[in-house]
Amino acid sequence: MEQAGAKGSEQAQEKALKVMVAVDESEGSLYALSWGLDNLFSKASSMAEWGEAVVVHVQQPFQNYVFPAGPGTAVYATSAVMESVKKAQQKNAEALLAKIAHLCSEKHVSVRLKSMVLEGDPKEMICQAAEQVHPDLLLIGSRGLGKIKRAFLGSVSDYCAHHAKCPVLIVKPPHK
Amino acid sequence: MESSGGEAAAEWKVAVAIDGSDESLHALGWGLRNVLSSTAPNKLVLVYARPPPPFMPTTDTSESGGDRRRFHDFETDFVPHLELPDSGYLFTDEDVATMEQYSQDLEKSVLAKAQAILQPHEHVKVDTKVATGDAREVICDTVERIGADMLVMGSHGYGFVKRALLGSVSDYCVHHAKCPVLIVKRP
Repeated sequence: MEQAGAKGSEQAQEKALKVMVAVDESEGSLYALSWGLDNLFSKASSMAEWGEAVVVHVQQPFQNYVFPAGPGTAVYATSAVMESVKKAQQKNAEALLAKIAHLCSEKHVSVRLKSMVLEGDPKEMICQAAEQVHPDLLLIGSRGLGKIKRAFLGSVSDYCAHHAKCPVLIVKPPHK
Repeated sequence: MESSGGEAAAEWKVAVAIDGSDESLHALGWGLRNVLSSTAPNKLVLVYARPPPPFMPTTDTSESGGDRRRFHDFETDFVPHLELPDSGYLFTDEDVATMEQYSQDLEKSVLAKAQAILQPHEHVKVDTKVATGDAREVICDTVERIGADMLVMGSHGYGFVKRALLGSVSDYCVHHAKCPVLIVKRP
């Protein structure tokens, strides 16, 4: 590394970034993570120079709603249902994180991977997490919703671009 | 890294939108420090949108002639979205010349400020694309034309409104640019 230093010093010295990545099960966020891993981190030799990727997954808490089960009847979610939903959510989160870990190892990136699973409203929790962790930048995918859909469905990436205190990088999936 | 000689690594092209505001220059500096590649050759493209003139030239009646006159120093294959304003002013040639001179001076000063920030990073290839028109369209069109890998911009320009968490140009570019967009906030 030191012999090549003469030429290496001419190249841009990439800082070891601490990147927070917001993920959910959508394709867009996995594409964004993949893009980030490919393009934001350099192939550092020693682990001391590795960048850091903090993956944040926010689950919306299962609300104890009343489900209409037919005309004139209603079903309350029993505690058994709540438990099974919680378990299912946990399984989903674990599967997602496993997928991400597999993706990272496949790419052989020099990145330390950390993960956080939070519960709550995704857009607020992501911004709060960014304030706690103080990443160099927040990487978030985008579903590519149009204006009207955005207004109705809400956009997490929009909210984060507006409210996060740190630089925000929004990656849209390629147009197919 | 250096052992495999002669490998033509694909260029890493970063477009940075500047408007002369401190925010955009801060974004440029941040981008230079953090998102340039250490393996691939870097190319930084500064994108500056000159504000469209609010007037219609009095002497030159041909549309195309007027356009070419404005862009004689820069690339002319890009036809800007110059919509004639619904109501403009008719100025004398002297006034038009003064305004154009001001606009050119402004552009020179903005590019000079950007140069000052680029100074310590001599190894980065820098290109400049200037076009007249609405900043939103200029930035998104330029990014698409040059095939940028990433667009870096500040969150507000000069139109800093306290309640607006993200400026209108940045917001537009996040939704319409064809590449990933990095918004660098004011610290």
